[in-house]
Amino acid sequence: MDQITSALAPSRTSHKTAVSGSAPDGPGSVTKRLTNELMTLMMSSSPGISAFPKSDANLFEWVGTIEGAAGTIYAGLSFRISISFPSNYPYSPPTIKFDTPCYHPNVDIAGGAICLDILQDKWSAVYSVQTVLLSLQSLLGEPNNASPLNGDAAGLWNQPDAFKAQLLKHYRPIETCT
Amino acid sequence: MRKSQHLITREVEAYMTLYEVKVSAPLQFVVSLNASLQSNSDPEAIRSLVYRLVEWYSAWKPTADLGPTMISAYTLAFQTHVFSVLPPSFARGIKAVVSATLQRTISQSPDPQDRVLWQAFDTLSLIDRYETLIASIGYEFIESYVEETCSGKWSEPVLATLRAWMVDKIVPWMLYPFARGATNADEAKIMMQGVGSRFDFHMHKTLCNLRTKEIFDIIVDFPDSAGALQDLKECLARVDQRADLVQALRQANNKRLLHPGADTKDILTHYVSTIKCLRIVDPPGVLLFKVADPTRRYLRDRPDTIRCIVASLVGDGESGDSLVDDNDPIQPLQQPEMENYSDPEWNPEPIDAGPDFRASKSSDVISTIVSIYDTKDLFVKELQVLLAQRLLAAKDGNFDRERRNVEILKIRFGEAALQVCEVMLRDMTDSRRIDQHVQSQKASSMHPTIISRHFWPALESSDMVMPGQFQILQEQYAKEFSVFKPDKVLRWLPHLGRVHLQLELEDRTLEADVPPLEAAFIELFSEKDVWTIDELVLRSGSVNRNAAVKALATWVDMHVLKEDSEGVFRLLSVAEGPTPRSRPQAPKPAETGELPPVMSVQQQQAEQMRMYWKFIEGMLTNLGSLPLDRIQSMLKFAPGYDRTAEQLGSFMEAARREGLVNVKDGMWRLGK
Repeated sequence: MDQITSALAPSRTSHKTAVSGSAPDGPGSVTKRLTNELMTLMMSSSPGISAFPKSDANLFEWVGTIEGAAGTIYAGLSFRISISFPSNYPYSPPTIKFDTPCYHPNVDIAGGAICLDILQDKWSAVYSVQTVLLSLQSLLGEPNNASPLNGDAAGLWNQPDAFKAQLLKHYRPIETCT
Repeated sequence: MRKSQHLITREVEAYMTLYEVKVSAPLQFVVSLNASLQSNSDPEAIRSLVYRLVEWYSAWKPTADLGPTMISAYTLAFQTHVFSVLPPSFARGIKAVVSATLQRTISQSPDPQDRVLWQAFDTLSLIDRYETLIASIGYEFIESYVEETCSGKWSEPVLATLRAWMVDKIVPWMLYPFARGATNADEAKIMMQGVGSRFDFHMHKTLCNLRTKEIFDIIVDFPDSAGALQDLKECLARVDQRADLVQALRQANNKRLLHPGADTKDILTHYVSTIKCLRIVDPPGVLLFKVADPTRRYLRDRPDTIRCIVASLVGDGESGDSLVDDNDPIQPLQQPEMENYSDPEWNPEPIDAGPDFRASKSSDVISTIVSIYDTKDLFVKELQVLLAQRLLAAKDGNFDRERRNVEILKIRFGEAALQVCEVMLRDMTDSRRIDQHVQSQKASSMHPTIISRHFWPALESSDMVMPGQFQILQEQYAKEFSVFKPDKVLRWLPHLGRVHLQLELEDRTLEADVPPLEAAFIELFSEKDVWTIDELVLRSGSVNRNAAVKALATWVDMHVLKEDSEGVFRLLSVAEGPTPRSRPQAPKPAETGELPPVMSVQQQQAEQMRMYWKFIEGMLTNLGSLPLDRIQSMLKFAPGYDRTAEQLGSFMEAARREGLVNVKDGMWRLGK
């Protein structure tokens, strides 16, 4: 039995390597990891978070969607983000920024850059796209006002009505047509 | 002479009136021989007319002293006049007369007058004038004879008999018109050559038409119709009617075979017969290729074709008419190979082969059938499902048959393709060995079959939980097993299998061999005597309610339980006589519970499609709307995705009908 299993082992994984072979750069293990993460993400069906590679040619650039969690000030809004994986992923964190303008204490309203510890010095290889997306979703509701990127937003956080007004002023709904 | 021409005219008119009066009454002219026989008296008038004309001709004929020029001039003038006054109905009359002579020759009652008659015809040059007409009589006669004697007689080749008949019957008659003036046999032969081969051709053509018309039934009758096929082959070589044959067979197939009313097995059987028949008629296989194409396409669309083929491959045996002839040597599947032009046996493709014609040199039926599909993977998958079903259904632990089948199929499909089947077989023997070991450590009344999940087709899962002593048995066994194989974990599929039970009730003991769900229920009844169906379902882990009802019905049938009121069952510790209100014993459902526990290939595909849907959902969420080809190319991120764009298209269309997506200008997006 064991020898049969081992004999079959290469063929059982062959389709994965075939997929990863299409990515022009980056070692196969990274694309394999990304493929697996995509699979996990697709199968997990976590509500309100989603991501997918931008094109079939490049597995390193993804587009994501985060919906504001119910009960937070961001409820009902969805934000498009772009995720860019480094070639040494998962040893370095992916670069994530908001494409939809997001009025948030830890998000740069102009550039979309995000200040989140796990995306910088606290990154660890055990994190995955899914965990990062979940962190971002919870960051929306619970900002870290101690190190704001957007000072105005941090200042207004305690006045929900004024904050909401600012948020909606900047917010633009995702255009469904690309 | 010129002066007396009106005499002839008058006489011709007189005879023709005589003829026409008689003919027009029955109105049936000489279309068929029978008709001409019925109006037998009428040709007599023509006959007399002909004799009379000959008399006129001889009466005025210049004496031989005047020389051939005079005679021929006279003959020409005479004939011109006669032909000019003969009415159109004279042709019909001639036909009737000639038919009568043919009839007499065939029935071998030669009338000495016939010779005289033909001489008279010759004298008047009527033969030259009506040659086509005379030939057509011969053709018609051949046609009706062939139709009459050969229709539906397929077991023996008839061509040789027909040829002999031609020589015996038709040729003697043909001698009159076509070999007149021949002094000896050789001369006659030379004169007959052209017309003889025309008649021969016509005979072949008639037979060919007949067989073409009958081809569908001939194929149905195969191999009892081998004679007819041999004839057809010879005829086709003579008469170029291959296209007609293809068309006729395709039409017949469409009309009689390729419709929803026909069983897939029948279509397959017919296809196999077609293959065999057309290989006789046309060994290169061009005809077959053309005929089979619609059949193959139709079969490809039928969902149960693969199942049917696989079932007959492994010789289901019950019906006995498996597609495969046991005498055929088992050979590997043929792959279409490059043509080997250095082969001295090489021949160019036949002239009427289409551009996509692939010469298949082998006559291996299975290869041809398997090639209906583009890949043999489908077959291998279906084989696995079938094998799984059979292995799990086998109760006696005797897998020799399956092992033999797998070995045979290995020759056909190759070792690699059947490796999974090999593992499955091995699991069965391993299970027995493991079981022996576990039993030797600690005897248990449980004998599980241990299968390697990765190698078996997906089995139907169930949330069923075995209660009571079964649970204990399972746990004990699992413990022993983990000692024996510490790196493996048992995951129970309690809903598969059989349980042999001995029930001890107050007044009786019962033995029963039942499916696990039945056993689980009766086990629960040992806790208390009255259960509602909902309680039972709850205790056995949410099983399907219908299954539960069926399981309980089994016990009710065996008079172990009784349904006191709707959905409430009571254990009959003491047997009750059949109460009058008990409904008549329903015939025990004949093992309907033995639904295949293995997911069919279709179910598996549906399962996979659910996974792909998540990917489609993901990409449409993030990338907005996409055209179908983008979706198709992005789906390669999904592991194992192997659908064609067409399949994806129909899947998306189905999703659209459910309102999950909508499409505009070819761009798909998620529906709201």
